[in-house]
Amino acid sequence: MLSLKNLPWRNLQGYAGRTAALVFFSMLMAAAIFGGSMIVSGVLRGLSEAEARLGADIVVTPVDANSSFDAQTVLLQAEPGYFYMDKGKLDEVAAVEGVEKATPQRYMASAKAGCCSARLQMIAFDPETDFVIGPWLKDSNLSEMGLMDVVIGSNVTVYNDNIIRFYDTECRIIGQFEPTGTTLDNCVYMNFETVNVLINASFEKRLNLYEKYSPEDVISSVMVRTASGYDTERVAADIRAKVGGVSVATAKNMVSGISDGLKRISRSITFTAGMLWLIGLFAVMLLFVMMIHERKREFASLSAMGADRKVISDIVGKEAMTVCLMGGAAGIFFSAAVLYSFGGFIGNYLGAGMVVPSTGTAFVLAGLALCSSLLAAKVAARAAVWYIFRTDVSLVLKEGE
Amino acid sequence: MKLEAKGLKKDYTRAGKSGSVFEAVKPLDFALKSGELVEITGRSGSGKSTLLSMMAGMLVPTGGSICIDDMDIYAMEEEERSKLRNGRIGLIPQGNTALLSLTVLENVMLPFVLYHKEPPPEDRAKELLMKVGLFDMKDERPNALSGGELRRMAVARALLMKPAVLLADEPTAGLDDANVELVMELLRSAADEGASVLLVTHENEARKYADRVFNMAGGRLCSN
Repeated sequence: MLSLKNLPWRNLQGYAGRTAALVFFSMLMAAAIFGGSMIVSGVLRGLSEAEARLGADIVVTPVDANSSFDAQTVLLQAEPGYFYMDKGKLDEVAAVEGVEKATPQRYMASAKAGCCSARLQMIAFDPETDFVIGPWLKDSNLSEMGLMDVVIGSNVTVYNDNIIRFYDTECRIIGQFEPTGTTLDNCVYMNFETVNVLINASFEKRLNLYEKYSPEDVISSVMVRTASGYDTERVAADIRAKVGGVSVATAKNMVSGISDGLKRISRSITFTAGMLWLIGLFAVMLLFVMMIHERKREFASLSAMGADRKVISDIVGKEAMTVCLMGGAAGIFFSAAVLYSFGGFIGNYLGAGMVVPSTGTAFVLAGLALCSSLLAAKVAARAAVWYIFRTDVSLVLKEGE
Repeated sequence: MKLEAKGLKKDYTRAGKSGSVFEAVKPLDFALKSGELVEITGRSGSGKSTLLSMMAGMLVPTGGSICIDDMDIYAMEEEERSKLRNGRIGLIPQGNTALLSLTVLENVMLPFVLYHKEPPPEDRAKELLMKVGLFDMKDERPNALSGGELRRMAVARALLMKPAVLLADEPTAGLDDANVELVMELLRSAADEGASVLLVTHENEARKYADRVFNMAGGRLCSN
């Protein structure tokens, strides 16, 4: 039944081509706002997860590791790699004043070969002294690891039931960590006994660069917790001065290095989303005014029938609102589908860790994106109403006759 | 209902640097009484459509006043004036004035839905479509209608609200003789039922239906 309420929808149906174009541009705007804000929020969440997971104040690595291992980007960008230093470095570091706890880690990378399930970073820890990985296990309610037990990061996919194979040696998966949005999600975690078996297996297959070492005698890094009352930078400088052949990075520097990079990324995304929104707004306004121009005799006829400015403005406003809400909802749905399906790829493409925001955050951002669509509808409707009443309607009725 | 114009005029400032004034309607007095059909003839550009638009409350005059039953319609707020036009003035503008997204029947019912929440008077709309010979086309979209059929649809739409004043701008333009007769008889019967009917045209076919005929030339209204 015809009513003033359904007239805007009937009008939009009557101009299906233009309506579809308007919905498309509204979709683009909402996708830019929602997608952009979700990515920025995801990247920032990744950073906070990384900070929480770092667990150490200082990371000590061999000085020659810098060629293949950049401590400042390990949390976000590290390629699988391994490097070793003498395990005596642990005692040297632990002896530095202000070091409360020091625990070694031993790294290994699986090979891109048939003997391994996938190319992955392995991180082994010493359960006796560890204060980094242990809390993650506890947070994830995982049991203690035995020989050949591993816990996998959230991005590691395993097709065989709870078994992962490195250098033709099978490991039992006892659990999987929650996502952090960092390369820590691509790692496999194990104790020293397990990694030693795997390092020896890699020696047997001649797939290890460091055959001159015995795995029991080497470590890859020392994670340090500073005693309270000591300045971390000062302790790091002392380690640099007293322990030879090591590279020392503080968590603060690592995080601020990452944070600066993320701020740049966030700014770029915000700028791009803002530009896309403005382009979308311009296109919606232009198309909407074009559609109104095409129908200016219709609006003049409505005026001749007695429709006042408010009635006409309401019709135009509801038309704009309908297309922008339809486009907005479609844009949010589309970008949510892309983000939830390909969040990891997007993070890798941006060179940043990204954790898809929580459902609550996603709802808030979706609400904001819809509000931005409504704002666009308001602007487009105002422009269109101005256009309709710019010319005397009685003159419009005479035009072209 | 009495529609009366006193000292009514409309000037337009010409575009361009000269800024000179063009007098579309020169000061005139004119009254339209209930039950009469008045025809204003004149060439294109003589000012008759401008006069009709002012009488309909759609074009603010430069000077003078238009009163319906002694109420100056231009002293009213735009909203009030529009509602008055919707309820008491039936306007048949020039050319195609249909909403393309609606059917012919819905176009005829449109004036009612602008200010009413109740279901539109479908029976009356159908009856009017029957009178203008468009009943069989009621479910068609306006783009399926010829120019003459669209004019007849506009006549039916203007009559929907049983207006006290009916203003028609070239209502018979583009119609064949049979349809001219049909439309003019409808306007005549509206007048006979008590409406004040004013039609402007540059054709002569309507003359025999009119109670009074005026001629408009150069913005001046003269009695014939």
